[in-house]
Amino acid sequence: MASSGSGYDLSSSTFSPDGRIFQVEYAAKAVENGGTTLGIRCSDGILLCSEKPLVAGRMAVPASGRRVHALSSYAGAAVTGFLPDGRQVVARGREEAAGYLDSFGAPIPPTVLAERLGSYVHYFTLHGALRPFGASTLMAGYDTAEKRHSLHMVDPSGMSYEYYAAAAGRGRQSAKTELEKLPLQPGGAGVTLERGLVILAKILHMLFEEGRDKPFVIEMGWMGVRTGWKFSAVPDGLVKAAEVEAKKELEDEEGEDDEGEEMEE
Amino acid sequence: MSRDSNYDHHITIFSPQGRLYQIEYAFKAATATSGLTSVAVRGKDTVALVTQRKVPDRLIVPSSVTNIFKISDGMGCLMTGMGADCRAQVSRLRYEAADFTYKYGAPCPAAVLAKRIADVAQVNTQSASMRPLASVAMLVSVDDERGPQLFKVDCAGHYLPFKAAASGAKEQEAMNHLEKKAADMANYSEDETVRAAIVCLGSVLGSDFRGGELEVAKVTGKDGKFGVLTEDEIEGHLNAIADSDA
Repeated sequence: MASSGSGYDLSSSTFSPDGRIFQVEYAAKAVENGGTTLGIRCSDGILLCSEKPLVAGRMAVPASGRRVHALSSYAGAAVTGFLPDGRQVVARGREEAAGYLDSFGAPIPPTVLAERLGSYVHYFTLHGALRPFGASTLMAGYDTAEKRHSLHMVDPSGMSYEYYAAAAGRGRQSAKTELEKLPLQPGGAGVTLERGLVILAKILHMLFEEGRDKPFVIEMGWMGVRTGWKFSAVPDGLVKAAEVEAKKELEDEEGEDDEGEEMEE
Repeated sequence: MSRDSNYDHHITIFSPQGRLYQIEYAFKAATATSGLTSVAVRGKDTVALVTQRKVPDRLIVPSSVTNIFKISDGMGCLMTGMGADCRAQVSRLRYEAADFTYKYGAPCPAAVLAKRIADVAQVNTQSASMRPLASVAMLVSVDDERGPQLFKVDCAGHYLPFKAAASGAKEQEAMNHLEKKAADMANYSEDETVRAAIVCLGSVLGSDFRGGELEVAKVTGKDGKFGVLTEDEIEGHLNAIADSDA
């Protein structure tokens, strides 16, 4: 098995002998190196958040280098992986949304937008002259006709699914484990946007390791009943409050674990 | 074999033995990657499609995971292979079918669409810059002149009409199973057609199914609409099959 690539991994237009396209798999690895990005479909809206490591230290203007973007009034996206690639996908998303509104006179339904982004990203996995995008895009959208909100994720292969909750980037597996515990499936109690803010902040802080990871800032975007379903950045004050609450809950939980250990003695 | 290895990279180049390795690898990607098997059966006035439904991740909304797609009112397809390639293929199928209807004012026959898509797929096998799509399509419809139609179009641009067809991981076993019943299929009623497809999949995978683990779709009659069966309808067929075995 040519699992190391060895010659079959040089272009998107080459299959390996066991039927894999290595360039697409490598692009997925680029995403795994990116900052943790999470999304939840809450009962009253959708929350997207991204971990932004403070690479430029104190010299960077805090609001720059955004990872959470609005695509149109009723759609937003968070990207992770190779960020310049992510910017291209976001730019395309904005074009698609604007073009749809122009052609059909209605906001683009999220399922259509996800499909369009998927097929755009997929195109770059077909040509030898191009390389796949090294970015995954979480997309939040509201369908104004069906009155239904949905969360989608497009990966570097161009595949997109609808999600109850999604995670991409570093620490994705642990984040998914936490997200799977939430009652998001049909019939479950669901999670409110307000609670979602704290849950996502908690996951990001849980994944952070002192000394290994750079200090980070959390960027959050949302849409929901409280925003009239328009996608916008979560106000700084609410993000900070959520982080404070998240840290408190994490400390309390650690305290409980410690208590358990003491009792064993 | 080692002499051939220089030719694997570029599909425009034949190996000294006259093989096109990239296409063979594309087939492998289409049948082996998803791990799923799909079956289609043609009856007297119905064509039925059956495939396994496997949701890759608990966080994914199950209704967004599907391999069965409607191409036009009376035509549908079952895709096997790499997810994004399958969706690209479906997009093209829908476009071609709609374009035909726009130009000629009539629904696109499955035979015409199959040939068109096969021709498009062939282009990728003869160009250096684009790779073949790792997807196999099974197109179904009931033609008003020729009756039920089932066409299988693959990565290389082959297309053939079938009385029954299978594709995916257990393609060979499924085809063997279907060949034994091929002679009777022309008389199958709607229910018999659907059940024959389900039974084939069950015997090849060696397991019993619940309604939620299968995707089933069919189109019946000349004016029939292509439609996906609900979980209850699938359960109904599964129960009927179990009763007739017992």
